[in-house]
Amino acid sequence: MSGRGNRSPLIRGGVADVKQAARGFRWGRRSQVPRSAEPFVPEATSTVFRSDWSRRKPAIVAREAVQKAGLEPLFRSQVRTSVRGLDVFDGLKGPVIFAANHASHLDTPLVLLSLPDAWRRRTAVAAAADYFFDTWWRAVGSSVLFNTFPIDRRGGAMAQTPGEVLDEGWSLLIFPEGTRSPDGWMHNFRMGAAMLAHTHGVPVVPIAHQGTFAAMPRGRNWPAPGRRLLTIRFGAPISPRRDETVREFAARVKDAIAALLDEETSTWWESQRRVASGSTPDPEGPQVAQWRRLWDQTEPLADEPEDRVFAWSRRK
Amino acid sequence: MSRPGFVLEVDDRTPPLLVHEGLGFRMEDFPLGTRVVYPPESLPTVPDVDEAIREALLNPTDSDPLPALLKAGMKLTIAFDDVSLTLPTMRAPDVRQRIIEQVLTMAAAAGVDDVELISANAFHRRLTTTELEHIVGERVFRSFYGQGLLTNHDAEDHDNLAFMGKTEKDEHVVMNKRAAESDLLVYVNITLVPMEGGHKSVGVGLSAYNSLRHHHNNDTMVHSTSFMDPPNSELHASAWRMGRLIGEHVKVFQIETSVDNNVFPKPYDFFMKREWEWSVRDQASMLAVRRGLSVAPQRLRHKIFHDLRAPYGITGVNAGAVEPVHEKTIAKVYEQQAVEVQGQSDVLVMGVPYLGPYNVNSSMNPVLATCMGLGYYFNSYRGAPVVRRGGAVILYHPLDEGFNQLHHPSYVDFYEEVLAETTDPAVIGQKYEQQFADDPWYIHLYRTSNAYHGVHPFYMWYWAAHAMDHVDDVIWVGGNRRAAARMGFRAASTLLDALEMASDTVGPSPSITYLHNPPHLIADVTP
Amino acid sequence: MMLALEMFRSLPRTVAGRTLGGRVPMVGAMAQPIRMVTIDPPKADRPGWARLKTRLSGICGSDLGAISGKTSLYFSAVVSFPFVPGHEVVADLMDDAEAEGHDTLTKGTRVVLDSILTCAARGVDPCDNCAAGRTNVCSHITVGHLAPGLQTGFCSTTGGGWGQQLSAHRSQMHVVPEGYSDEQAVLIEPMACAVHTALRAAPTRGARVLVSGAGSVGLLTTLALRELTDAGEITVVAKHGHQKELAIELGATEVVTPKEVLRRVRRSTGAFQLEPDYSRGYLLGGVDLAFDAVGSKESLETALHATRAGGKVVLSGMPSAADLSAAWFRELEVVGTYASTRSDFEKAIELVGHDAVARMAKGVAPYPLHRWREALDHAQSAGRLGTVKVAFDPRKRG
Repeated sequence: MSGRGNRSPLIRGGVADVKQAARGFRWGRRSQVPRSAEPFVPEATSTVFRSDWSRRKPAIVAREAVQKAGLEPLFRSQVRTSVRGLDVFDGLKGPVIFAANHASHLDTPLVLLSLPDAWRRRTAVAAAADYFFDTWWRAVGSSVLFNTFPIDRRGGAMAQTPGEVLDEGWSLLIFPEGTRSPDGWMHNFRMGAAMLAHTHGVPVVPIAHQGTFAAMPRGRNWPAPGRRLLTIRFGAPISPRRDETVREFAARVKDAIAALLDEETSTWWESQRRVASGSTPDPEGPQVAQWRRLWDQTEPLADEPEDRVFAWSRRK
Repeated sequence: MSRPGFVLEVDDRTPPLLVHEGLGFRMEDFPLGTRVVYPPESLPTVPDVDEAIREALLNPTDSDPLPALLKAGMKLTIAFDDVSLTLPTMRAPDVRQRIIEQVLTMAAAAGVDDVELISANAFHRRLTTTELEHIVGERVFRSFYGQGLLTNHDAEDHDNLAFMGKTEKDEHVVMNKRAAESDLLVYVNITLVPMEGGHKSVGVGLSAYNSLRHHHNNDTMVHSTSFMDPPNSELHASAWRMGRLIGEHVKVFQIETSVDNNVFPKPYDFFMKREWEWSVRDQASMLAVRRGLSVAPQRLRHKIFHDLRAPYGITGVNAGAVEPVHEKTIAKVYEQQAVEVQGQSDVLVMGVPYLGPYNVNSSMNPVLATCMGLGYYFNSYRGAPVVRRGGAVILYHPLDEGFNQLHHPSYVDFYEEVLAETTDPAVIGQKYEQQFADDPWYIHLYRTSNAYHGVHPFYMWYWAAHAMDHVDDVIWVGGNRRAAARMGFRAASTLLDALEMASDTVGPSPSITYLHNPPHLIADVTP
Repeated sequence: MMLALEMFRSLPRTVAGRTLGGRVPMVGAMAQPIRMVTIDPPKADRPGWARLKTRLSGICGSDLGAISGKTSLYFSAVVSFPFVPGHEVVADLMDDAEAEGHDTLTKGTRVVLDSILTCAARGVDPCDNCAAGRTNVCSHITVGHLAPGLQTGFCSTTGGGWGQQLSAHRSQMHVVPEGYSDEQAVLIEPMACAVHTALRAAPTRGARVLVSGAGSVGLLTTLALRELTDAGEITVVAKHGHQKELAIELGATEVVTPKEVLRRVRRSTGAFQLEPDYSRGYLLGGVDLAFDAVGSKESLETALHATRAGGKVVLSGMPSAADLSAAWFRELEVVGTYASTRSDFEKAIELVGHDAVARMAKGVAPYPLHRWREALDHAQSAGRLGTVKVAFDPRKRG
């Protein structure tokens, strides 16, 4: 009782003010516009939070600590990974654009933690501004943890464009589908990644992975129990040709990822032959009943026999 | 982009709203359904102020260009608005300085030798040298002040007042003799709110008691509905009659300026933003400033606020004949300040800020706070008052700043002696005004010190007369109880208490309108 | 034997009271040179003398001054220790009182005392002042058959009102009219002083008057001025809210607080106000006549500073040392008024019948003798507590 009464007005009033502001300004939630004020509020052109700070030295140091000491052990405790194709980094110079299929929130940590450390430290992740950057805490959290920067799925102006990030020497991880797959199969690619590679003249490293949808699909916020296996395969970098349009190049990126997915279930040689004959299985999956599409994708990946040895593989 | 003003209706999505209260502010959770009137955002400003001034002087409205009016051997007087404008004081350079410098440059080119500058302060206090220098700029100050050619108008220096005649309504017109005898009188104005400028500039700013008493009185003010709406203002009708009479004898070249709504500098710019658009930084500033103010002693708070310099932008410069110039200016002012409001409400809520026209570098005493709330803010309407007749007004101000003995000596006596007897502006006017107007000591302080004239507190009370006549209940939230009671009002500690108290007058669930100013706004009320 | 409060000579206590008195109330009260005693009642064996039984005896500002050691040592020569204080006395005669030139009063008559111990009471030939009727400034207050003592209540022979019994000379006695309460009657003596003050100040018709202080002296002076003189506007300085109403009822034109007084006088007289360095502001111009009805430095300076050049400043409380520059610089007439005479009493008895005084009398707070510490403490802060007069009622037991 007396302790409460004796607190200085500085603190007492401060607590009241903060409570009022937290409630009134909806801290931690989306801010709202009073209904009657809506006609007078311009369409949000840039309601996203800046993220350039997350590519400065202090944030890089913090991220390294968080990823190595927190994210990685946690990630490995929940899933197993099988990484293939790391040989593509031999002689490769950054920056590059990593283009991967997208099925789960596990994709980002999977890709980042599969990258060689030197590459991981110089890779930024494109994240939907409207999802990851609309509250300060989500923006800060994802920026620190994954080095995300905002891109607009609806095509608005950003505080800092992906091109600028690229120009600063950062490799980008982009999921060209723009959103997580609802059924684990690949969906239409947007032009963004191809466009960036095209205009900035950087190569695209295709990445195919499987198992994240089965482990943690949309709607789940923690991987399914049982340390499921996730596979990831890096493909050879591809650069836009001089006479190639963005659209053509985008198709080529998609095909490369489809081939990598094919390779996952067969062998490199078989997949190459199917590429040559144009019979790579459609990464978008068979046009069958939705339950069958899901059924296929949720089947746990079978462990490869322990005695098979692959070049450039890493399993943990 | 400048967005128009609008009326918000408080709903469950509305964050707490900022309310000014003297040397501080609070965040108020208004009852759901409260209407909140927001002023328009700043209009685009003129890209080059100096160019705009030159343009106005060379191509004036209904007048020859200024250079054509300037001739060697003539008597030129430049009068300018005093320190009561702008509020807060404009960040240097003041627009009056820019104008005066150009006028003087033209006068020098024309070979005019006899030039005097007069601050048109009527019954306001004499400006200090610092204040004069801020308004006219260092160069003008240095050239004229030392020679005694840059002065304050002295409305009690009877040797230097000229009787100009009587208007058709038998009003005496008296004005500064030097200005009256000049071949050209250039008036440099800032029209911050619609009541200023026009014939009020010369007709009031350079006049004396014998003229002022015709329109600065209870009767006129009760019939000025409102004094922010010149066509419906008795005050302005009278000033216009006088101004026209003066215009028959004196060649007046009026230069008027209008400003945008950019009142508060960083980091206080959140004062001007709409709360639901506050960034995290704005919210943090608000919390930090609130905390800082809560522990700062009164003097420090006073300094913090009174040291603010407004980053006003200029939205228009017009020069030429008084009336057409003023029409243009006032249109711009309304464009900047007018907000459409549908219908009156039972309760009007207003936050009285730290500053009014009469406490620049001084303290906002209870009488001035009343004038600010029930005078300036209440009257900031066109059409009909925002509150219905017989409604209640709720004001925010602590009423605790006391009186500045240097600037407001007669206010103390007015407060302690006159208000203790009666708070009825009509009775006060009849019974006490003459005594205060003639008091030799007040006259002495007005002429030699930096005191407002003895009769000035009466004018403050008349300013509030229309409001007192119109509403039945005035409650000060957070106000000092004794001060409120002395002035015939009541005090409450919170808005809810105030509404509870007002329920006798307006019932248990009244309609409420809150005027979210400053920046200044004019409510266009359609009853 | 009788019960009485007795003031005695005690240097340490006087010094202690003087230094601590106001500041440390409890200790100050302990250190006062006053005690409760059981003593022989005073005798009344001389012609014209009679014994009286106290009904009510007021505590006056000068009593408090004496007790707390604030009174100037000037007065030490005109008192005789140990004495029973109390000079505002309402009492019943225990003997018949007869003396030359006066009606005989029978035993049991209720009287008030004119406390001055004049030539008549002392049994000496009248001095010039007594002969001229100015008995309040009698020159023989230290001689005769009585011990020295300016008044009843400062003399060791006569006793005083703060005891159950005292003695007095017939010339001191004034019969209390039927219908007056004791509380009203106890105000007659201070009223008489106020009458004397008002008449001595003799304001000209319409004179503007300032009364600094709204204790019983100030209030009664206001009444006397309003009723007996042609004074114009009377401004009363009152510290406490409840005093304001009374002052207005008693005839004040306006009542102001000590903080406002200079500004208000300045305003109403159109004077000029000056603010000297590190010192109190004063007026050039001001009221015609000012009364210090408190006896403090502040009050006296207020009176001096608010009076126009050539005006009159009246000391109606026992004065404190103050800056007299204004008296010299503005050629002020500084006038003392002390106690009262027989004719003042007659007017006072009439005035006490005034409705406002009757209401005032209702605020008199009587204490039994044995609660004297409480009573003195109450009297010390009477103004703040809203009491006009604190008095002892020795008849009371509880």
